[in-house]
Amino acid sequence: MSQRQVFEARVLPHLDAAYNLARWLLRNEQSAEDAVQEASMRAFRYIDSLRGDDARPWLLGIVRNTCFTMLERQRNGPELVEFDDAEFEAAVGAVEHSPSDPAVHLQRQRTRVQIDAAIRALSPRLREVIVLREFEDLEYAQIAKIVAVPIGTVMSRLARAREKLRGVLSQTSLGE
Amino acid sequence: MSLDDQDLSSLIRHHATRHAAPDALRAGIHAQITLAEAGRSAVPLPAEAPRRRWFDFGWRTASVSFALGLACAFVVLPVLQHIDFNEPVDADLVADHVRALQVGPVTEVVSTDRHTVKPWFQGRLDYAPPVFDLAADGFPLMGGRVEHVRGNVVATLAYARNRHVIDVFVWPSAAQQAPVRSVRKGFNVVHWADGSMQYWAVSDLERIEMERFTQLWLDRVAAQ
Repeated sequence: MSQRQVFEARVLPHLDAAYNLARWLLRNEQSAEDAVQEASMRAFRYIDSLRGDDARPWLLGIVRNTCFTMLERQRNGPELVEFDDAEFEAAVGAVEHSPSDPAVHLQRQRTRVQIDAAIRALSPRLREVIVLREFEDLEYAQIAKIVAVPIGTVMSRLARAREKLRGVLSQTSLGE
Repeated sequence: MSLDDQDLSSLIRHHATRHAAPDALRAGIHAQITLAEAGRSAVPLPAEAPRRRWFDFGWRTASVSFALGLACAFVVLPVLQHIDFNEPVDADLVADHVRALQVGPVTEVVSTDRHTVKPWFQGRLDYAPPVFDLAADGFPLMGGRVEHVRGNVVATLAYARNRHVIDVFVWPSAAQQAPVRSVRKGFNVVHWADGSMQYWAVSDLERIEMERFTQLWLDRVAAQ
């Protein structure tokens, strides 16, 4: 197989996962597209280093590093706070419900907005472990490799992230 | 209501938004890979030779060579003819753009008037690049300069957008190419060709602004 065929057969099927990660990390459509395009080109260039590994965590690792480089360049994230309450309040408060929506749909939509807002409000380091674990269903060891920290750190970050999410979601009207 | 880890997981898995990659992104990656592949095939990586092992030779080598030959004939050569080794060029152009911003000059002829900038190129180039005044659309012309890109003398127009600079590199090409965007070192590079000239716009501007600039340019060319 040519390098292009390898890339198309093994890497491109994970483009949605790559974009989802970038979109969550950068919280912006355009930056996410830029990051994934840049990361894809890097992946294509270094496709030989993939060998027999699972392509999804490999690609997600490249996307993750590209995103953090961009975040550092922008220096716009409040890195110091693990959960940005103002961001969460603003996102949840901004939702206007359209009166024509049926109640069930409305409730689902409200739940979605609250969960999305809660994840968005996490600091990037907590957000990435949540996305990799809950969206991508990766194992602790895979996440540790992508984030380049020990497994114990992944677990403690996940615990802190869940604690923050639990704290803010328990207060809302979820599931009632 | 209290949530354990399982509840939380299932909430996220069922309700949080999953963002699917937009079609434009897929198309952009395909275009860039075609360009990159053409560039890579033209200049084989030196690292590839030692990686071959002795047992790779034999009948497999023959069939692989044959397949590569076919690929060259049907895929790589036509692409190369159309794009003139584009892939390495955009890296060079980004480097030129950065150098001009760092040490200058961004403009060797300083003028917002295209009737000053366009004649300035005469005698410096053996072609006449189109120069448009886009100030009314928010992209004022700053001036022009001449860059040397791989032995070509290349007209370079500088446009301003707020505090950003867009460099437009222009030189002749018979190719037709719809705008293709790529990202290099964080810079947006948009390339297109209209059958008489090829254009490379380089800037740290956002994609939407670059697309607007490109569209304005295409409109002006069409209106000529």
